[in-house]
Amino acid sequence: MAVDDRRPRPTRAARAAASAAESTPGSAAGAPQPAAAESQLAPLGPGELTAPIVVPNTLWRATNPLAYDGGRPAEITHLREFGLTDAGRRDDARWGAFQVVPTTADNILDLIRSNSLWPLLSGLACCAFEMMSGATSKNDMDRWGMFPFRASPRQADVLIVAGTLTTKMAGPLVRLWEQMPEPKWCVALGDCTVSGGRYKRSYSTVQGIDRVMPVDVYIPGCPPRPEGLIYGMLQLGQIVKDKRGRWPEREIGPTVPEKI
Amino acid sequence: MPTRPARTSSRPKTPRPPEQSRSQDDPRIMLDREVTSDLYEPVPPYPTQTEREAEFYTRGDGEMFLNVGPHHPATHGVLRLVLKLSGEQVVDVDPVLGYLHRGVEKICENSDYYHVIDHVDPLEYVSSLFQEWAAVLAFEQLMDVEVPPRAEYIRVLSGELLRIASHTLFMGFLALDLGGLTPILYSFIERDEIVEMLAALTGARMLFNYFRIGGVNGDLNHEFMSRLGDWMSRAAKQTEANTGLLNQNEIFVRRARGVGVMNREMALRFGVTGGNVRASGIPFDVRRAHPYSVYPQLDFNVPTRTEGDALARYLIRMDEVRESIRIIDQCLDNMPDGPVMAKLPRLLRPHPGRAWGAVEGPRGMLGVYAISDGSDQPFRFRIHDPSFMNLEVVPHLLPGNLLADTMAIVSSLDPIMGGIDK
Repeated sequence: MAVDDRRPRPTRAARAAASAAESTPGSAAGAPQPAAAESQLAPLGPGELTAPIVVPNTLWRATNPLAYDGGRPAEITHLREFGLTDAGRRDDARWGAFQVVPTTADNILDLIRSNSLWPLLSGLACCAFEMMSGATSKNDMDRWGMFPFRASPRQADVLIVAGTLTTKMAGPLVRLWEQMPEPKWCVALGDCTVSGGRYKRSYSTVQGIDRVMPVDVYIPGCPPRPEGLIYGMLQLGQIVKDKRGRWPEREIGPTVPEKI
Repeated sequence: MPTRPARTSSRPKTPRPPEQSRSQDDPRIMLDREVTSDLYEPVPPYPTQTEREAEFYTRGDGEMFLNVGPHHPATHGVLRLVLKLSGEQVVDVDPVLGYLHRGVEKICENSDYYHVIDHVDPLEYVSSLFQEWAAVLAFEQLMDVEVPPRAEYIRVLSGELLRIASHTLFMGFLALDLGGLTPILYSFIERDEIVEMLAALTGARMLFNYFRIGGVNGDLNHEFMSRLGDWMSRAAKQTEANTGLLNQNEIFVRRARGVGVMNREMALRFGVTGGNVRASGIPFDVRRAHPYSVYPQLDFNVPTRTEGDALARYLIRMDEVRESIRIIDQCLDNMPDGPVMAKLPRLLRPHPGRAWGAVEGPRGMLGVYAISDGSDQPFRFRIHDPSFMNLEVVPHLLPGNLLADTMAIVSSLDPIMGGIDK
């Protein structure tokens, strides 16, 4: 959300006076009546949001320059006023012009999250060194906002499972995953975590971490190069963008197949 | 509840009725309850099984337990240290291993001799060529194979390169555990250059699978030699610059000096090898004590110190980097012509017997004890890893030190959990 600060915002009384002066028969049709709207406003409680939230229309320009009040900013600058008037129910498409974008917070926050995916600093085995190599000087993952490897799961967005997951380590790793706050994503780095890899026939390994937790991106390789990790993380960013705002559809919890 | 929108992924998904997945009887969502009730209670959870455990988990006056790991950024891999603290001071420590046990020995005993070389790679994953080297040394003794001299020189050349990479990473991690972020950025520059040139030689950056029974997988190529020449032209200078980051850092030196002193007797008693034992005044180096490959023909020193503290263990490794650069220089100078592989049958069936092959890895003596029963698979494949012996002394070095020095001591011993847990 952006506040339109290109011109000084008049006070509510000044706006009422200005619109009263303008409300002549020559003015644009369909202009709202702020004085009437203001009389219906409930008094604001202490600590309530008083600054109006306005998204200026920079996305498109109307073909007819006289339409939509000639492009003037709206008198109604807050969703409270918008809800109290009948502005949204009129068919002049004024509010379809992105003056105010009512949206869910996740829809916008996911755009931000996709550019700042903070991984959890957790290495299990060999792949951890390629992960560290990706984070340090030569392949600098910081360029895509993936750098600050958080030591605490409470502060991490992405769990990069780097290395062989053994049955003894599976419990602590699932607990780490459950300690991470939503929204969270999981990247399986290396053959061992994708399918078991070269330890497919070992008695002590988990053959693919998707037996214990949901996985968003699989990166094969033994181990993958750091460029592979960066590519996988960029793919994860694209997934976050594609699925933004639709979080309830995500599967929560362990996704163990039926017959295992 | 709104209807589920279509999934954006094209991957087919196993259909599952939602009411079934939310049911109380579904074992998939009982995991959390099981975890908190039975398996992962904090210390002291277990019915104590030995007298040592009973003594450790009996808390004295004013003492507390602190659980470090298995996921902790400062442990080198998945190691769990249960510390018993009195205030800021460590009283006792109980290391819990096995979080990376992958059953490599058993896999090797079910593979034929060629596949073993690939399966031992991820044990010492920082310097995997040495683990291969120990395996092929044992197998070559079993089969009585003569290795061509050019292959031996290539082995020494690539091994010493990897030793430098490992020691440089050690410097970065030690500084990181003491709170300095900068040296690891420099050490990964060196490490990335070395593994990229080894990738030109072997085809992989980390798990090389390069050594063969009776030689190596490929001859030196142009890209490797070109990268090596570039790097060697500034290796010595760059090493001095990197070590200068820490040698002249007063904070580092004060925190590392006198911390975790391992004396001569302790080092001998626990079978510690490598730079750790040489920092305690014992000049044991497998390259000198039990020479293998072409090391008798090469001129190098075995650096030794007498202090036995974390600073000495760090300085020993930096001295070894200088010696390794000398060895690489001599290898390039004396590199003979000829084949890089001995002639061997496709199917290897050595006579029944047993063999021991040991090399000097970056962490100490890496050994492999192989028994053949005449089949195409080893009957027994025992791996002796130096990191295990190095970690064994940790419970004896930590008590009496401050909590903040714990990770400095563990890090200065340079354990790699892949080799410890196998």
